[in-house]
Amino acid sequence: MITADEKFFAWLDGELPPEEAARVEAEVAANPELTRLAEQHRAMQARLKGAFDPIVDAPVPERLRQAIRPTTTDVIDFAAAKRARDTRNWGSLPQWAAMAATLAIGVFVGTMVPHRGSAPVEVQGGKLYAASALNGALDKQLASTPADDVRIGMTFRDQSGAVCRTFTQAQSSGLACRDDGRWQLRGLFAAPEGQGGSYRMAAGMDPNLATLVDSTIAGEPFDAAAEKQAKDRGWK
Amino acid sequence: MDSPPSFEDQLSALLPRLRRFAHALSRNPADADDLTQSAIERALLSKTQWQAGTRLDSWCYRIMRNLWIDTVRAQTRRTAREAPEEEGMSVGEDPRDAMDASVDLKRILTAMERLPDEQREIVALILIEGFGYREVSEMLDLPIGTVSSRLVRGRTALLAMVGEL
Repeated sequence: MITADEKFFAWLDGELPPEEAARVEAEVAANPELTRLAEQHRAMQARLKGAFDPIVDAPVPERLRQAIRPTTTDVIDFAAAKRARDTRNWGSLPQWAAMAATLAIGVFVGTMVPHRGSAPVEVQGGKLYAASALNGALDKQLASTPADDVRIGMTFRDQSGAVCRTFTQAQSSGLACRDDGRWQLRGLFAAPEGQGGSYRMAAGMDPNLATLVDSTIAGEPFDAAAEKQAKDRGWK
Repeated sequence: MDSPPSFEDQLSALLPRLRRFAHALSRNPADADDLTQSAIERALLSKTQWQAGTRLDSWCYRIMRNLWIDTVRAQTRRTAREAPEEEGMSVGEDPRDAMDASVDLKRILTAMERLPDEQREIVALILIEGFGYREVSEMLDLPIGTVSSRLVRGRTALLAMVGEL
């Protein structure tokens, strides 16, 4: 005689090989208690499916459709972006300068840099680094930290092994990676006209930033535990 | 000649099922649709890591489940600091609102919500989404015996709760 053990449920779920299934089936048929239990569990699964299956037939909210095919911004072809990166190889220029040339962020950066002291970026040795509040957020905040001025998005390693983090501020979003113990900006994108502030914070990743991340990332983005661990190790 | 469906087309086709899984995992509809959106965004970002010829559905479910775990952990930390949220405060888009929300539906949903997370995800994947034990074991990186025993505990608890609620 068997009891309602894992084998009983494996039989119920059609997980047993045919011979074994036939044996359990016979035992269940001969045992009124197990027969009743099998019926109860089948009915329970039917009710469970009855509760959740209607979601499959319900119309999908527009924002979810849009997440796959954004209609308001250009659809990004990640594969094409990757091909472009592979063939062009912007290695010789500082990457942000190459990005500035192609994505016209230069003007935007220019307007931020002169305000030394409180500016979120500073230039040193031809490289662009995070400064002040942005630098602090990149150093200290986790993605789960409630956002003040700067919200941290994804954290991951690039192909050279450096830790990189995406961030969103009121008027811009970007990507910074560790370089000699500092956060070097790899890209900074101004929010499109009329999309500053809280709307932007909630609107998901800038398509240009998404493309940059896709061409920078090696492996999977960090989960919360890996992010915390990287922080505790000083982003090394 | 027809070209094979694009990644985005396949993802679109999966959307209703992913959404069902999100609703089974989350405790309210607003969270479920946020989770679905995050999973789609993450899948698009990681698109180059998906190997054509392998199952896109398992890959996406795995992404969604890992995001959900991250969120649950963050919420646990937050609610440990803050006063507990009033139940039923969240207003979300539950596609079932349009239907007659029967007593039975409420019972089932309440029972699912009360299941421990590690049992709920397995109940959802096997009993609702229809994956096999082996598929779930690979998807969640768990030994098949763990999947099997959590499923037994989860469905036994569900039956007891649905019976008494």
